[in-house]
Amino acid sequence: MADKPNATKNVLIVGVGGQGVIMVSKVLAQLCQADGHDVKQSEVHGMAKRGGGVFSHVRFGPKVWSPTIPEGEVDILVALEWAEGLRWIKHLKPDTGTFIADCQKIVPPFACRNRKRGAEPAYAPQTPEEIIDQVHAGYVMDATGMAANLGNAKASNTVLLGALSTVLEFPEDAWQDIIAGTVPPKSVEINARAFAEGRAWAQGGEKRIDVTASGLHKAHSEVHHPQVDTVVEITAEWCKGCDICVKMCPERCLRLNGQLKAELALPDLCTGCQLCSWLCPDMAIKVTNTPITEPAE
Amino acid sequence: MTATRRNLEGNEACALGAIRAGCRFFAGYPITPSSEVAEVMARELPKVGGTFIQMEDEIASMGAVIGASMGGVKAMTATSGPGFSLKQENLGYACGSEIPCVVVNVMRGGPSTGMPTRPAQGDIMQTRWGTHGDHAIIVLAPASVSEAYSETIRAVELSETLRVPVVVLLDEVIGHLTETVDLAAVPEAPEVWRKFAQGPADAFEPYAVTEDLVPPMAYPGDGYRAHCTGLTHAPGGFPTQVPAVAAAAVQRTTDKLTLHRDRIESWRVQDVDDADLLICAIGISARAARQAVRDLRAEGVKVGLFRPVTLWPFPEDALRALVAKSGTQTVLVPEMNQGQLALEVERVLAGQARVQGLFKIDGQAITPDEIAEAAKEALA
Amino acid sequence: MKDTADKTAFDVNHWLRQDQMPHFLCPGCGHGIALRALVWALHDLGIDKDKLAVVSGIGCSGRLSAYIDANTFHTTHGRPLTYATGLKLARPDLHVVVISGDGDALAIGGNHLIHACRRNLDITCLMLNNEIYGMTGGQVSPTTSEGRYTSTTPAGNTEPNFDACALATAAGAGFVGREVTMQVLALRDLIRQAVAHQGFSFVEVLSDCTEIYGRKNDLGASPEMMLAKKSAMRPFAYRNTVDVPFRANHLKTGVIARNERPEYGAAYRAMTAALRDGGAE
Repeated sequence: MADKPNATKNVLIVGVGGQGVIMVSKVLAQLCQADGHDVKQSEVHGMAKRGGGVFSHVRFGPKVWSPTIPEGEVDILVALEWAEGLRWIKHLKPDTGTFIADCQKIVPPFACRNRKRGAEPAYAPQTPEEIIDQVHAGYVMDATGMAANLGNAKASNTVLLGALSTVLEFPEDAWQDIIAGTVPPKSVEINARAFAEGRAWAQGGEKRIDVTASGLHKAHSEVHHPQVDTVVEITAEWCKGCDICVKMCPERCLRLNGQLKAELALPDLCTGCQLCSWLCPDMAIKVTNTPITEPAE
Repeated sequence: MTATRRNLEGNEACALGAIRAGCRFFAGYPITPSSEVAEVMARELPKVGGTFIQMEDEIASMGAVIGASMGGVKAMTATSGPGFSLKQENLGYACGSEIPCVVVNVMRGGPSTGMPTRPAQGDIMQTRWGTHGDHAIIVLAPASVSEAYSETIRAVELSETLRVPVVVLLDEVIGHLTETVDLAAVPEAPEVWRKFAQGPADAFEPYAVTEDLVPPMAYPGDGYRAHCTGLTHAPGGFPTQVPAVAAAAVQRTTDKLTLHRDRIESWRVQDVDDADLLICAIGISARAARQAVRDLRAEGVKVGLFRPVTLWPFPEDALRALVAKSGTQTVLVPEMNQGQLALEVERVLAGQARVQGLFKIDGQAITPDEIAEAAKEALA
Repeated sequence: MKDTADKTAFDVNHWLRQDQMPHFLCPGCGHGIALRALVWALHDLGIDKDKLAVVSGIGCSGRLSAYIDANTFHTTHGRPLTYATGLKLARPDLHVVVISGDGDALAIGGNHLIHACRRNLDITCLMLNNEIYGMTGGQVSPTTSEGRYTSTTPAGNTEPNFDACALATAAGAGFVGREVTMQVLALRDLIRQAVAHQGFSFVEVLSDCTEIYGRKNDLGASPEMMLAKKSAMRPFAYRNTVDVPFRANHLKTGVIARNERPEYGAAYRAMTAALRDGGAE
């Protein structure tokens, strides 16, 4: 540790709802307290439900005054989700900060606002290699995959705790005791193994990327939807003008014309989702999506 | 007794006749006095790879029979008065959609539950007019167990070749009568089947107007993918309300029976050529009449018997010719109801001869003596 | 039954008799969506049209068989299950699907439904429940919700309605499911499972009668009725759970019940094999 021994240590744990951000910060806070530090923990959650952003500040030292960490003062950033890690990375100390992240991607609904096939989701495009270059020390690991291999992907937060333990000066036994006292009795054993696994992995080097441990966590952005040409054909003779397609179209690109027949009024908005065709009781709508062949690489 | 000579009950003979004619599906519902047909079918059909099912009600058994026949399998059901009433809607469907099937109706007393174990002949008009709308139907009325056997075979064959439901109309006495039957009396013959659709599927019309007025029937799975409906339909099989097309569709189903009358009609006569009085009767009443004719002839009274085996369509030309030839002035109609066959005989003769009824509704068969007495009275 | 067909190649027109289209249903009738889901499921199962028999009864639902390019039988009111029973027993090689309505299957044909469930012959029965006798002008049906106005309940319906799936389950159907038309893909998958099930399968499709029932009860146009029906169901994420996690009046959709009792046709043929081979008298 390069810092002065009596300085406050700042750890920021981030992720999305349901991942166990609070558990990580609770374990850390209890450990620090048991070790005689003054600890402040401050978290934002609750509104997140499942899938929304969650973060938790843990500060410890001889005396901690403020509950939150100023920007650029984070010693260790623990990210349970990749993009959440990137969101907070500017809070790290530029010269000495350590970045620990799960490479798992959870693509939020808003990243898919453009529903056209082949459209790029607005998810963080940065690769682990790009990020690790920007930080003093960095660990990008497939914590979820490692946990899944142990039997429960939900233990990914404990895998990250294991990695975190390598950059803090607490004995391994102390970590394990606190974890065992925090998690439900039936998952004590798997969490112990998850912690050991994460710790062993992080001891392999100060800058380490290992995202190949498991193929489980293909982010949505990595599932390739080819771009398509969409053709909407409406058989006017069959259309009875029931209005279902018009009202149900997510893009509101259909309308009824003067003869009360459905027509595609705003073709540019059409994403080719086919909902109109599926819901048409009169079989009057046919949506054809032809993949646009990309030039061979 | 050789293997072909067997003691059979009328109901059992119906079942065995149907199987001999190739019937491989039977759906039924218990009802006195026809239940034995189902019981024999349940035992015998599996032996020949056929299927028996006891359905949840009379309506269902008629539906299942029509469904099996639509699938290209010869099918039959059996019932009695109240059950026959319940089957009428589906029977009408089979008439309208021209689905071959055979219904055995063993008549018992009525109306309503009536006298279930007692004989009657109250369904003569119901078999003809029971279902709504104008429709073609064939009704065969055996008067012996041998005839129950041979006429059920003929019922299956007529039903197949003409695509029309055929009713085998027994009365309780014939149904529960045991007689020696020589099964070999019906000569071996190739199995008779309906015409199945052949040729290109595109050109196939399930209700095409053919020369014999009997359209070929699609066998599901052969690629014709036809539609069958109880709605009045055009030759293509789909519903129509075009007046001329609708009229032609119904007209053809009745015309086809007229066209094939010679094959359908069957009757037996006894001592008719010089008869001063003709008796017209069916079923057990006809058997009593046969004895009455013998007894009267022995006394020198000139009476004869005309027994329609095909009850519907009624062999009207035969009866008229007979009456004209013999110069008979009186036709006596003994029947176990309040006068149903007599109505038809009156219609047929239309004044050509006087029609006298002998009606009995007490649950007892008419005796030869009663008929003989009535004949003498009529001649007096 | 193997689920091997190329699912991307579904074309509804391949399954429709083009010369009969457009169909006769009223604008916005949910039955049309159910028809699409049905043939889509059959396509996904790789079923040959020549080996498919569709049997329907009387009413709006009864007319649908005429539009399917298969061996189709439009039978009598309430009786399609009886015709289908005979057809399937006589021809086990055919896939037999019955299209029925709420009046058809639960009122006039209620007896046949419960016995078909009990018998467990390999037939799939699709009951299109629009809560009304539409064809005859909007009379109350066994599934009309309490309080609704129909032409025979001018002051509102006072009869409790049937839970058709509970009925089918109690009667022993091998597979029981329910779905709304709005969830057309889920409906398709449900029907696919039902048809693939070896035994009697019953699928209740909650359809909408806009023109008669909707108007009479001021339920809005088709889109509104569809969305309302969808909202009355248990939320999608919880549709396959057994307990009721939300409002108690939420109807459960998806697979309601299934059992693996012996299929009747196969059982009959096995049981009668002794008669066939031994010829015992």
